[in-house]
Amino acid sequence: MSPNLTHDTTTDHDFHIMVQIDMEMGAFNSDWTHCDYIATFLARTISHNRPDSVLFANLFSSALNELLEITFRSDHVGGTFVCKISRRGNIERVELTFTCSEDERDFFKQAVARVRSSDAESDYMSSLSDAPDLSRNMLLVELAVSYNAAVSLTTLSDDTISLVVDLPLGGLTH
Amino acid sequence: MSAITFAYDVRFKAQFDLSNQEFSLSGTLRPQSLDEITPSLALLRDSINRVSGVFYINVRRLAQMNNTAFHAFARVMLDASRARPDMRFIIVTSSVVGWTTEKFGRLSQVEPGIKVQEYDADFYPGQSFLEEGGFIPVLRTQTKMTWRHERNILPRHGMRSGIYMADICCGIGDFAALVQKEFKPARIVALDHSRSSLAYARRVASEFKISGIEYIYGDASEMLLEDNQFDLVTCRHSLQIFDRPALILKEMYRICKPGGRVYVTNEKISQCLGEPRGESIEWTYDELSKLFAHFKMDLELGPKSRHYLMDAGFDDVRAESFMVTNLDGDPQDFADVIQAWEDTFAGEMSQKRGDPPEFIEQFRKGFQDHILAALHPKGYAGWPIWVASGRKPL
Repeated sequence: MSPNLTHDTTTDHDFHIMVQIDMEMGAFNSDWTHCDYIATFLARTISHNRPDSVLFANLFSSALNELLEITFRSDHVGGTFVCKISRRGNIERVELTFTCSEDERDFFKQAVARVRSSDAESDYMSSLSDAPDLSRNMLLVELAVSYNAAVSLTTLSDDTISLVVDLPLGGLTH
Repeated sequence: MSAITFAYDVRFKAQFDLSNQEFSLSGTLRPQSLDEITPSLALLRDSINRVSGVFYINVRRLAQMNNTAFHAFARVMLDASRARPDMRFIIVTSSVVGWTTEKFGRLSQVEPGIKVQEYDADFYPGQSFLEEGGFIPVLRTQTKMTWRHERNILPRHGMRSGIYMADICCGIGDFAALVQKEFKPARIVALDHSRSSLAYARRVASEFKISGIEYIYGDASEMLLEDNQFDLVTCRHSLQIFDRPALILKEMYRICKPGGRVYVTNEKISQCLGEPRGESIEWTYDELSKLFAHFKMDLELGPKSRHYLMDAGFDDVRAESFMVTNLDGDPQDFADVIQAWEDTFAGEMSQKRGDPPEFIEQFRKGFQDHILAALHPKGYAGWPIWVASGRKPL
């Protein structure tokens, strides 16, 4: 794996870009452990000025890894995969931009709608209680329930989407 | 102990201990598919089938688990709880990890036979006395008094600028702050298991504009910090108030880089001394040592540090001692510390042991005599500290 790391100081919406990784989607998808490596590396990289750096890194790595795994399992159509992390106050914004098929776009739209429904928590609890396997569209719901994540989806072109997840983990201490 | 262990690619370990009816998961568990964890799931199912009564699932050292794995293990636990209503399932989590208590806690909302217990401060018998006794000003004064000596001693034990350092059981963080100013390490991680002490440390760091210290919450016996990270790992006055000091040393060894050093300081409290009234002072500190032993703390540990370090696998072990005295600086500082000791040890601790009033009266007198010795124009009062450090072999 040879990701491009870029650092920038400006972004929209008052979020300050901290780190961005660009990879060929094919390279990213060539090895499952990329999810773990990237999540662990980025979590450590941005954790040092949080009040409890180890707690923050552990939680952020956990959430980011789930997002990367969701992306990994998507039905992509090549191109570039971008993972951008920005910060505003206590919120970390994760933006995952990648190409995908029309079916996948529909899947993500439905998954985001499910997160935003008023009964996301009971939805998740029902899934935990009864479902024999974890369905893929419950993963974003789990992030909302466990990390109070806010999730949105932007369609950038016919085959490119950007999944945007705000994680309010920055002020956490024990 | 009858234990069955399964480790996958050394990233995580699943283990069953029949004698304790405990299944444990540790490490990082992020499988792509269930095939990767099939043996561990089978071990969990088989373990449950082999026991009755209470079954423990220990996830204290489970740092990471993705939803694929969580859902699979949760499924086994939920199914077992439904199939075996006669059994109780207790999931033991650690507050340090940050996510396990809440996430596994949802299982008890689904199945009442599953409970979550957050393993916590039981390993620190002395912590409540020190936290609840208004001890913070005294700790600051103690560090000020010991720092006069340690700032000269530390370079002989691996302290230098630019190193990566961890201060384990950092308390209110004042030692880390002094090290930051004096030696300028490249990184300091200061870890403690007291939320109130860490809150204080962060507030002081903020007010005094001290940056570069990461104050983190953690359990010294099971730290989330990774292996081989630090050039110097310090632990001051804490092995002695931990009932299993070898466990902390094992963790400090783990996080220390090969070639790095672990530095510990401890007391031998019965050696506190003073004149005049040496006999009364000696009696009280002998009794203080016994009082701590009653609460499973070894305040005589100082000279044993060398032995502990060698047993933990360190080489090039160095040991020395120094005496904090009333002549080092303002004798009133020394007197203030002893007064706080009397208040806490002859007050709350002695009463908690159930000591009779006449014992407590004599116990207090030795502390007062130590104060008298410290403030007496011709007096001498001392508090000896033992320092030891060992190198992690390359």
